[in-house]
Amino acid sequence: MSSFAGNFTKGIVRSNPTFVLLLGLCPTLAVSTSLDNAIGMTAAFVFVLVASNILISLIHSLVPDKVRIPVFIVIIATLVSIVDLMMQGFVPALSKSLGIYIPLIVVNCIILGRAEAFASRNGVLDSIADALGIGTGFGLAILLISFIRQLLGTGKLDLFGHHLFTIPGFSDNPVAILMLPMGAFLVIGTLLALFKWMGVTKGD
Amino acid sequence: MSKDKGFWPVIFLTLVVIVAIVALTLTNGITKDKIVQAKQDAVKEMLATLFPDMQSFDYDENTGLYTVIAGGEPIGHAFMAQGRGYGGAIDILIGLKPDNKSLQGIKIITQQETPGLGAKIINASFLDQFKGVSVDEVNLARNGGKIDAITGATISSSAVVEGVKEAITRELGSQQKGGNS
Repeated sequence: MSSFAGNFTKGIVRSNPTFVLLLGLCPTLAVSTSLDNAIGMTAAFVFVLVASNILISLIHSLVPDKVRIPVFIVIIATLVSIVDLMMQGFVPALSKSLGIYIPLIVVNCIILGRAEAFASRNGVLDSIADALGIGTGFGLAILLISFIRQLLGTGKLDLFGHHLFTIPGFSDNPVAILMLPMGAFLVIGTLLALFKWMGVTKGD
Repeated sequence: MSKDKGFWPVIFLTLVVIVAIVALTLTNGITKDKIVQAKQDAVKEMLATLFPDMQSFDYDENTGLYTVIAGGEPIGHAFMAQGRGYGGAIDILIGLKPDNKSLQGIKIITQQETPGLGAKIINASFLDQFKGVSVDEVNLARNGGKIDAITGATISSSAVVEGVKEAITRELGSQQKGGNS
């Protein structure tokens, strides 16, 4: 099972989708304004990625090469639509705050990327490990970005309506720019530079 | 038979699409009622913030007018308005008292104003100013009305006020026409 563990852990640091592969940045940047959004997005994303990796690794030997990409897209789009409908029905508040970014998981290049680069060439177990690893890497990255943006951008931390923490004297005058789209770029740029400088991620 | 020859790719893709359609139809069947219910609940909750005594409401699809009911009597009307804010459209819910002469209050439904500046239009200190104001007095203070703009967010403040004014004129106007004919 060492390959299972290996396939799992590589997604967290060595090929972290956000900080190393730099894939799927659009939703990462757009919804990372609060921890609630980050958790909701991660849950939706991991579900779609695991399910699509399982399905694609199961059928990959049957899929004709010519229609490979359309088949993957149909599978991913179906899974995303299911998640979208479920969210609207069962967690409407989360569905409203994630808005257009749930349907946009369809075009999240991480998922198609994993389908093409991994699931269509490997077995089911390895594909699940890969999906969970990449999903964890994505989740940690978006949580870290959201944590920084919410903490410094509003001066306090809330989690699903529970108040966690306020920076004394700071919440009246927070760094509101971090809540804007440009704040997302500032945070992710700083983190990328930091990780490279610390040697956590390696350039080619 | 090679899996890339002949019509097999076409047939395969068609099969995948059929399976997808079945899966989506099933999901839609499970969630359809829930989604309608969730939307109703959202509207109810939204109206209840303006009319805490509300028991039920009627919705007229033609005019977009909500009639809020408590104890069998209408206790007010509500309708949607839109202001042109700094970051895009601001959707506002307006509540009118039953006599249509003064405001019950307003609520911002969606907005994309600048956090820390324009986004202060969702604060109670700004919105509470609309409570009980006569429909003729909905205007910024510098234009002779009763609403103080938020410091540093004049565009967002006046977007809300203008949106509310426009919607009230439209609604009251159409009601009068309806009453005369």
